[in-house]
Amino acid sequence: MAAQIPGSLTNGTRNGRASTWGAAGRVAINVFLVFHILAIACWCLPASNPLILTAREFVRPYFVWSGLFQSWDMFSPTPKAVNTYLEAMIIRKDGSTEFWGFPRMELLSYAERYYRERYRKYEENLLDSRYSALWPDAARQVARLHANPADPPQTVMLLVRWSNIVQRADGSFERSPWDAHVFFTYAVKPEDLQ
Amino acid sequence: MKGKSLLEAWNAFFFAEQSPTPIALFRIVYGVLVTATLLLLRPDWLAWFGAHAWVSLPTMHELEPGPRLNLFVWVPQNDAWISALFWMFLASALLLTVGFLTRLNSVLLFLCLNSIQQRNLYITHGGDTFLRVAGFFLIFAPAGAAFSVDRLIRIWRGKEGAAIGPRSPWAQRMIQFELSLLYFVTFCWKVQGVPWIQGTALYYVFHLDELQRFPLPSWLVNPAMLKLGTWFTLVLEFSLGVLIWVRELRYPLLALGVLFHLFLEYATNVPLFQWDVLSAYILFVDPADIDRATNWLRARFVAAL
Repeated sequence: MAAQIPGSLTNGTRNGRASTWGAAGRVAINVFLVFHILAIACWCLPASNPLILTAREFVRPYFVWSGLFQSWDMFSPTPKAVNTYLEAMIIRKDGSTEFWGFPRMELLSYAERYYRERYRKYEENLLDSRYSALWPDAARQVARLHANPADPPQTVMLLVRWSNIVQRADGSFERSPWDAHVFFTYAVKPEDLQ
Repeated sequence: MKGKSLLEAWNAFFFAEQSPTPIALFRIVYGVLVTATLLLLRPDWLAWFGAHAWVSLPTMHELEPGPRLNLFVWVPQNDAWISALFWMFLASALLLTVGFLTRLNSVLLFLCLNSIQQRNLYITHGGDTFLRVAGFFLIFAPAGAAFSVDRLIRIWRGKEGAAIGPRSPWAQRMIQFELSLLYFVTFCWKVQGVPWIQGTALYYVFHLDELQRFPLPSWLVNPAMLKLGTWFTLVLEFSLGVLIWVRELRYPLLALGVLFHLFLEYATNVPLFQWDVLSAYILFVDPADIDRATNWLRARFVAAL
């Protein structure tokens, strides 16, 4: 089977019109194309070859600046095998506590989960300890959502509840018991609520 | 001799002029998808990007350092300015969709998408990434050469005839390259994971509460079917990454890809991801087939009138 350019015209049509590119422009475009094809491939492919790693570091400032950085590792190499959801425990000045749940897609209506899906992605990243710098902002936001001048929040605790997805020997689905863990505690400052 | 033929193949692939109808149709769908993305975000514009957002600008700088093309850094950090920026983005998306000041709006829209994602990378999915990188190459494409207000203006001014002239497709090829790379790279990542090789990966994916949309029939989520589905995913992603370039296999693979993404759209809740990826399938359709389809539609439409 011969590879052919997708969507191209016949040879007659192809050659029927003089090229509009000047020689210099054509060279510049070729340099642009070669650079971007190699750079994007080096950036994306899951290879640890020293040459590729060097190339990745070389293009990093340009890719980060221009927005050409990309990763295509959907559900891979290992898909998530645990159901999780996030809650915040708010302790107020008078000592009372309340729980607030981050949006859970499975509890929302079909329409809501369509436009609030960003929370799912955010919560997924919030649980990644590499992004622990996100935690104070999240706690402050929760405090602001529960601001009450008469009884302001004093402490916000972020906690995760999880249950493993287990495959039984016969292949059927089993949910392990739910567990919980407080992963961040934040002492709210008065200026956080302004 | 070999080098020469390689050079000829390169030139034919990137520079042999062809009808710009595929890239123009892609522009329309792309504009609609960006508009939809912005509108879906609308209730939370300020929650994600405002002065008191879930992720502050200093935190973003701390986690993702280095200079970035991000308009949010340049506007005053108050909600009025940030809302104004979003309305400008929305206007630009609509103008690109209709093809008015196409080049300018393709630049503005890329700046918009890049800024939104650079401002808060922690809420973006693969579909957003694809729109961003495709948007970069769309800037260089003759996206307003067909099906656009720009073209109507050029015809009205007598600068262009009724026939759509062929154009160099190198920018379109780069978006096609991005799409095939997306599939190939995800295939490469997946084959490194034991659950994908063992055939249990989809078992976990379809038991994630947060990801489920509409219910699936029980026969489809039994372990044997999920195992077959896992392996089918690997084969299809490899094929869409590599074999898509073989003309004889292209349309059957595109058809399978459409069914695959429609199934995922039904089963999983990752809004617009499937449509973002499917949009670039247009670029793999032969312009002659697009012309045939538009002529048929035109005939039907005129007949109906």
